[in-house]
Amino acid sequence: MRTYLIDNDKNEYIVDLTKTITHSAEMVEFEFRTIKDQKELNKETIFVRKLADQYFASTDGVRWNKLARQDSPGIMLNVDKVFKLYRGYKPSSLGGGDEGGLFTQMPGKVVKINCKVGDKVEKGQTLLILEAMKMENEIKVGTKGTVKAIHVKTGDALDNGVLMIEVEAE
Amino acid sequence: MSKITSGNKRILIINRGEIAARIAKACRELGHTAVGVWTDNEVQAKHLEVCDEWVRLPGSTNAETYLNIPNILEVCKKYQIDGVHPGYGFLSENTEFSQALVDNGIVWIGPHPEAVRVMGDKAVSKEFAKKVGMPVVPGSTGPVKTVEEAIKIGNEIKYPILLKAVAGGGGRGMRTCFNEQDVRDNFEAVGREAASAFKNGDLLVEKFIVNPHHIEVQILADRKGNVFHFFERECSIQRRHQKIVEEAPSPFIGDDEDLRQRVCMSAVKLAKAINYDSAGTVELIMGEDKEFYFLEMNTRIQVEHPITEEITGIDLIVCMIQSAFGDDLGIPSQEWITRTGHAIECRICAEDPITMLPAPGTVTGCETNFPQGTRFDNCLYKGLQVTPDFDPMVGKLVVKGILREVAIRKMRAALDGLLLEGLKTNIPLHKVIMRNEVFIKGKYSTNFIALEKPQEQVVTDMNFTSIYKQIAGIEARRMGL
Repeated sequence: MRTYLIDNDKNEYIVDLTKTITHSAEMVEFEFRTIKDQKELNKETIFVRKLADQYFASTDGVRWNKLARQDSPGIMLNVDKVFKLYRGYKPSSLGGGDEGGLFTQMPGKVVKINCKVGDKVEKGQTLLILEAMKMENEIKVGTKGTVKAIHVKTGDALDNGVLMIEVEAE
Repeated sequence: MSKITSGNKRILIINRGEIAARIAKACRELGHTAVGVWTDNEVQAKHLEVCDEWVRLPGSTNAETYLNIPNILEVCKKYQIDGVHPGYGFLSENTEFSQALVDNGIVWIGPHPEAVRVMGDKAVSKEFAKKVGMPVVPGSTGPVKTVEEAIKIGNEIKYPILLKAVAGGGGRGMRTCFNEQDVRDNFEAVGREAASAFKNGDLLVEKFIVNPHHIEVQILADRKGNVFHFFERECSIQRRHQKIVEEAPSPFIGDDEDLRQRVCMSAVKLAKAINYDSAGTVELIMGEDKEFYFLEMNTRIQVEHPITEEITGIDLIVCMIQSAFGDDLGIPSQEWITRTGHAIECRICAEDPITMLPAPGTVTGCETNFPQGTRFDNCLYKGLQVTPDFDPMVGKLVVKGILREVAIRKMRAALDGLLLEGLKTNIPLHKVIMRNEVFIKGKYSTNFIALEKPQEQVVTDMNFTSIYKQIAGIEARRMGL
């Protein structure tokens, strides 16, 4: 599985999960590598162990640290840098809100979501209604495709630049 | 121990976040009903989980909700509220609000409105402090017209002095003078600068406090005239004039018990002079010569009250509520109040650790793995959205050790054990501060951030292991681990 980490300056890190070994019902071993600009930067093995309903991670299977488990986060943090996180595929465009990834162009509140994951959508279809600046804005998709993920729910207050819906172009 | 009464009152907590939760816990402990509030901006208001009753405040801005005095008075009537605790911020130091409650027969859990009024105005409170014999920063009483006059004052209050524009601000129209010659060289120039920048060339002369320390004394008083102090806190580590690390006792005062006594008793004297009858804090500025001056008095509970609770073992919020209802605090004398060990608080804020500017976001993961004796006052949960509507402080990490070095050791471990994902925080900055040599020696002033620049030592390189661990957690979860 490939995970893309992309920051606001369009720096892109690709984290590949290259190996998965299930040791037991409680422990899994993963091997990861990071690629940037087609170059491999780093490669490491990580163990994850479930213990007393908590997750712990280790680089050697000996020394363990508790994990603040995230279920399906839209962002990944590295001290002072915020990366948007895409698991499995990269949206076809990151520029505007009218292609594969629908981003907020201004802070607003989700009024209504008109689609669900797996829906086939046509170009120009309204997928979401966002209330911003006291107005309801129809967020339309700029490509024909399939809804891959919905990262928001009705009532959410969103900042500028938040990825709301991902559509995989056909 | 004296008789402690109280109980069965209905208390409205007109605040949010960690302080609302903290107050609610105290209310429940005392047998009162904690009535919490929430707004449409924080539907998941976590502080409600420790409140007995939940009231929605209509509106979308703070002016319509937490600051809306007429509506809050309506709420008090509708829900038969006996007392209101304002927490800190919002209406906690609002004379109009405290007076309106008193006029409506509702108990204001804070000092009497006159104390709020006098201490709420910087100029009025400074005059009051001066009148009761509390030292204030020496200087001219009004604009200084001539060089000779400025030099005369300089000789009286001793150099260095500060020449500053009456209308000045932001460091402009200000000059430090170390001797008479400096004053002669600078007086006219500062006047010209002030005249061009602020259209007012009037200058004030004030003593320049070298390497100042922010020291404050915790006061607690009942409605029967008893005023106690709970020793001091040092809050010299600040950014944008806001505290980020506090400790008790002050490492600068150290083991100078005579100085500690003078500082604390001067605060008691001031509080007694205004017939103070609640929890409050007297803030002081102390120079490197250990001379101290009155800065202001905060007529409310403060963010950093937990460190005082940790070293004295007294529950300040419980006492504050008991005091408001006229109950006995159960404190027989000043001597009965003792302190042990050392406590440190780090304010955990949703902000960029380098620029120290607020960074709103969503908490996507939150776990703790703390050393023994850690206190974390917070309202965090996985999914919390930190919005620009409210203060970026999301929690207070507090530790206590038998010695200062033990407290620092515990704080390092506590910071390592505070696992927050999805949100930029100042945790990396605190980790640097807790390893800074000047901080460890306890010899820092309010210039600490400016001089030591801890933000420049925060390591920002890509931490691949940390990222892999997070992704591994996500993958493991998907695999059904």
